[in-house]
Amino acid sequence: MLGRRLCVVKIGGSLLRDSKSYIESAQKIREVFVENGYKAIIVVSAAKGVTDKLVQVAKGSQEALRHIVEKYLEVAKELNSVKVIKRVNEELKRLEIVAGAINRSGVDLSLYDFLLSFGERISKILLVGALEATGVNALELHADELIVTNETFSDASIDYISTSANLEKLYSSIVDSPTIPVIEGFIGSTIDGRITTLGRGGSDYTATAIASLLNIDRVYLVTDVDGIMTADPDIVENAKLVRTMSYRESLEASLHGAKRINPKAFEPLEKFYSSKLIIGSWSKFGTEIVKEIPRELWGPKVIMNRASQDMSYMAIVGEGTSSVQFIRNVLEIIDRNGIEILGLQSYVHRPSLLVYVSSTYELKTLHLLHKELFEGV
Amino acid sequence: MGRRVKVLLIGFGSVGRALAKVIALKRKIINSRYGILIDVVGVADSKGMALKAEGFDEYELLKLCEVPRSGVNLFKPYAHQGVDLNILYSNTQPDVHVELTPSEYTSGEPGLSNIMYAIDRGAHVVTANKAPLVLKYKEIVSRALSRGVRIKFRATVLGGTPFISTLTSMRSHDVERIEGILNATSNFILTEMHEKLVEFTDALKMAQALGIAEADPTLDIDGVDAAAKIVIISNILERPLKIEEINRESISRVSLRDIIDAVRQGYVIKSIASFDVRGGKASIRIAKIPRSELFAQINGVMNGVRIRSDATEVVFIGRGGGGIETAHSVLDDIVSLSFEDS
Repeated sequence: MLGRRLCVVKIGGSLLRDSKSYIESAQKIREVFVENGYKAIIVVSAAKGVTDKLVQVAKGSQEALRHIVEKYLEVAKELNSVKVIKRVNEELKRLEIVAGAINRSGVDLSLYDFLLSFGERISKILLVGALEATGVNALELHADELIVTNETFSDASIDYISTSANLEKLYSSIVDSPTIPVIEGFIGSTIDGRITTLGRGGSDYTATAIASLLNIDRVYLVTDVDGIMTADPDIVENAKLVRTMSYRESLEASLHGAKRINPKAFEPLEKFYSSKLIIGSWSKFGTEIVKEIPRELWGPKVIMNRASQDMSYMAIVGEGTSSVQFIRNVLEIIDRNGIEILGLQSYVHRPSLLVYVSSTYELKTLHLLHKELFEGV
Repeated sequence: MGRRVKVLLIGFGSVGRALAKVIALKRKIINSRYGILIDVVGVADSKGMALKAEGFDEYELLKLCEVPRSGVNLFKPYAHQGVDLNILYSNTQPDVHVELTPSEYTSGEPGLSNIMYAIDRGAHVVTANKAPLVLKYKEIVSRALSRGVRIKFRATVLGGTPFISTLTSMRSHDVERIEGILNATSNFILTEMHEKLVEFTDALKMAQALGIAEADPTLDIDGVDAAAKIVIISNILERPLKIEEINRESISRVSLRDIIDAVRQGYVIKSIASFDVRGGKASIRIAKIPRSELFAQINGVMNGVRIRSDATEVVFIGRGGGGIETAHSVLDDIVSLSFEDS
């Protein structure tokens, strides 16, 4: 039913910093996808830092509100389109009204989510404006009309059946037109039309839901790094890109706090169509995440130092890391180097091994294990 | 390919945009189901218009919804500055004129002149604007009759339901009484006051923030909108009332204190429109309703009406004024006009 050259592209907030970056992103979308014959469905995040500011606005910060207004107006002016400037002004006025109401009504979760949704809503208008300025036909889709969710405000889950019906209807009416549709990530609405948000990192979830419900093969998650790294490169300088991971591995890494992907993003991929996730930056798409990986790719993929209730631990994630052989291997490394550990945790059905160490050994253990497990030949 | 029906949209606020969107999403389906191909050939708002005699395609209709308020004149390359119905009609020869301008109850303009113009040019009319009907129902209907065109207005009362068509079709009944909750905005505000225990002004702010109430909410909260709906109903039942004859109570007078007192006694406070057909009397009043009664359970933006006739009692419950629901009612009118024509 669907063309082969269709893909979903999520533009992360880290790429949308200032007025220039909207134009840059639009040009890249054009170069990388449009000019290569791809029909991309774009999922856009809020500009960098805006969602945090909106959370402050909800707490009554006028300064945060001013910051958002200035930031988005600056981008709108840079695009130099009467239409975009007017639209952004309209949305900012509405934002101000909502901000005014939220401070009076105490905690109203639906109003809170509505307030948060402005980050993505305005960002979408700007990206569509930028695409048109670069000569690409773009069309605004509206997440609050398409993505139906339950009523768990601020951490909503997508109602796949209703959403799928909406997406198919829309898809069939625009599939023939030469246009790049752009939708807000992170937001949806309840069946009776109240806006919800999908939780932090929710744009990934929007992207995977759209792809899996429309049977689209590829989801590009575009950000400012080249892919998923074996360890935090700020701590471990020899950290390198992970080429391929399975959903399970990636989900496990998310559950241990890897910032990359919202755990809910895997649900539609598991339940419906298993699209491939491709993560990276405009210069390099370094990591692919697929439903299953072949046996020869089993092994540790990522190591992270985390803390839980004042206990620091290393989380080693990868298919096979909960096997006896792997655990013995890790213990040998630790033993050989005279490190005391406080505990081990591993379940055979989960692709991870947790090594608890006292905080004095934390970094030493991290470097050591990374060296031994990831930097070998 | 079905028979083409050329449609003009006059007024492009939230209902107009919702309608453009619904037509974009459903015109293919409607074409395959009913053999009617709806072509929007022109759109106008207060500042300008956009026209395309061969009809806007799906993409263009969706794209039109991206123009700012009063920004149809920015829709290149089809845009014209200013509105001139003569130009619109001469260039597009529409079959159906859809009037979606805001209701203005003093003069009925611009809706009244637009509708009269459409009738004189031989176009059928679908209106969601109530004011022309409220002020000049008889004149409009008889003019349409004399010119051989029809006017439909399902979206004007309980726009999210087929209330009007049902009422119109109850021809053998003697309708005795119609009453209910006819205004979504005031019902939402009252519901907020009950559920969150806030004062009227805060509940109004909430409604405005959510886009349910207008910046100037007086027509809704003072009962003018509900009274206008009663006037339209009274005309359908051929017991016409004038809007001034309907006694109105504003919900702005309801205090949180009143609500708390009512709840303590087992009641809720609602704004109830009622029309005693035989007595020829109608009112919009603030009423204390026992909590167990039907109208007490119609909350938020829902509307509900009970029709009592000499034979039966019928109840309608549905969304009042949502853009998408209203747009569907308008579209249903367009489709049924096209049916009757063939």
